[in-house]
Amino acid sequence: MSDANVHLLRSCAHWILFVSCVALVPPLCLGIIRKTKARLQNRVGPPLLQPLFDIFKLCRKGETLSSTMSGAFRISTVVVLATMLVLAWMTPWLSFKPWSPNADLFLIVYLFALARVFSLLGALDSGSAFGAFGASREVTLGLLVEPALLLGLVALGLFSGTSDLRLIFAYHQIQAPGASCIPGIWLLVGVSILLSSLVELSRMPVDDPTTHLELTMVHEAMVLEASGRNLALIEFSHALRMSIFFGLAAQCFVHAAAAVWRMNALTHGLLNIFGICLIAVSVGVLESLSVKLQWRKVPEFVAYVVSMSLLAAFVAAGSGVAKL
Amino acid sequence: MMSSVDLSVLSAAVLACLMVGTLHLRLNLWMYGATTMCIALATALTAQTHAEINLICVALLIAVLKAAGIPLFLLWTSEKLNVHRDVGAMIPPPLAMHLSIGLLALSFILTRGLPAPEMAATGWYGAAAGISLLFTGLVVMLTRRLAIGQILGFLVIENGIYVFALTQTLGMPLLVEMGVLLDMLVGVMFSGLLVFRIQKSFEHIDVAQLTSLKE
Repeated sequence: MSDANVHLLRSCAHWILFVSCVALVPPLCLGIIRKTKARLQNRVGPPLLQPLFDIFKLCRKGETLSSTMSGAFRISTVVVLATMLVLAWMTPWLSFKPWSPNADLFLIVYLFALARVFSLLGALDSGSAFGAFGASREVTLGLLVEPALLLGLVALGLFSGTSDLRLIFAYHQIQAPGASCIPGIWLLVGVSILLSSLVELSRMPVDDPTTHLELTMVHEAMVLEASGRNLALIEFSHALRMSIFFGLAAQCFVHAAAAVWRMNALTHGLLNIFGICLIAVSVGVLESLSVKLQWRKVPEFVAYVVSMSLLAAFVAAGSGVAKL
Repeated sequence: MMSSVDLSVLSAAVLACLMVGTLHLRLNLWMYGATTMCIALATALTAQTHAEINLICVALLIAVLKAAGIPLFLLWTSEKLNVHRDVGAMIPPPLAMHLSIGLLALSFILTRGLPAPEMAATGWYGAAAGISLLFTGLVVMLTRRLAIGQILGFLVIENGIYVFALTQTLGMPLLVEMGVLLDMLVGVMFSGLLVFRIQKSFEHIDVAQLTSLKE
């Protein structure tokens, strides 16, 4: 076989692997969290891929639309899903990825913001008061957590000397000078991304996704009016957003490990998937053990996330000084 | 290259910074205990590299008296006085935490100018951690209103001075260490009793209001 053929085959294999991961990992993440919580409550729990079956079931169901809705409701769902798919393609949340364009870290953070804006539009357009409640809370959370996420990614960029996430997350700058602080930076940023994902996805210490009490819930209040196929798409994009965040955090931890032990690409990929599953399990354990924070205490929690990013940024800046 | 002493001393500094972020007294005291445990670990590791038996005793004393004894005593005091949360003053705690992390970075810049001792156990990481602990203690004393918070800030400052001395010298004589430890223990006991007295005569332990007289 010629080189061109081998190259084509390889990229085809990459694409197939990537698409199957995008389709399977998000429902699997949700399933693992639910299964962990069920096991901790002495229940058997639904099968691991139940969220995927739920999405198929919702697709077959009819849809009820409120008479006050305009087209924005429908458009928002599609835009959110499309943005999430683009993000899944560009963000290095998996260590095996097909070709993708430059992924500037500011672009990534604000694409997440774009998705948030459209989900807010959808919630406000539904005309229900609870949707507006949820939207207001979602904006507050997004406002609080954005600096933490941005600062963490900037710390990584500062350290690697580029703002392209593809290059930052490539496994080849391990022998840089000032190497002793690499695992530290990766660990700090990983913890920061993980904690900010809990806020961003309105999961346990910030909001309980299983309460279904309209006065407290965030994400669930926003999708209250959605049904049928619309709901299926919204649920899938939310799960995809979750797995992108968990994947980024897992990648950070794998990088921290790779700076200490030598590994090949296959181990990186396996560890990455394993890390995502492990993070999902720990989120499930956290959700069973902890109680929801008071809404007033949420900024205090976010302050800790910001300080993780701040520390990482300072270490990165310090190692940059040491290199000169 | 970072040694394990550097690592434990730096984690003590970071833990102290994170302690500033919450006003919950019990959490504060536990985090102070963890910080001091890290310092005890650093002492034990220094003792191992220098092969000094004295420092092992000091490490044990720190672990038992400072890391466990003092937090438990202050916890008991706060239970007795029925205070669980500080009120906070001047700067809100999250910002104070970010400030103390900024000061941690500043102390790294400051220690670059210090002449590094030739024979010292560790390089400038230890000095930076010590100075940062000093700053953190100051921030704690500035941002707390309850007397127990003030004691906590004082204890963190003392930890900073100890870390600086430990990492910049070849280890102080056991007698000096014991003297400092004893002084501090007595100081904490006295301030604990004082807090009781303040509570008795003023019916609160808010130091911001102590300037007004009471008949």
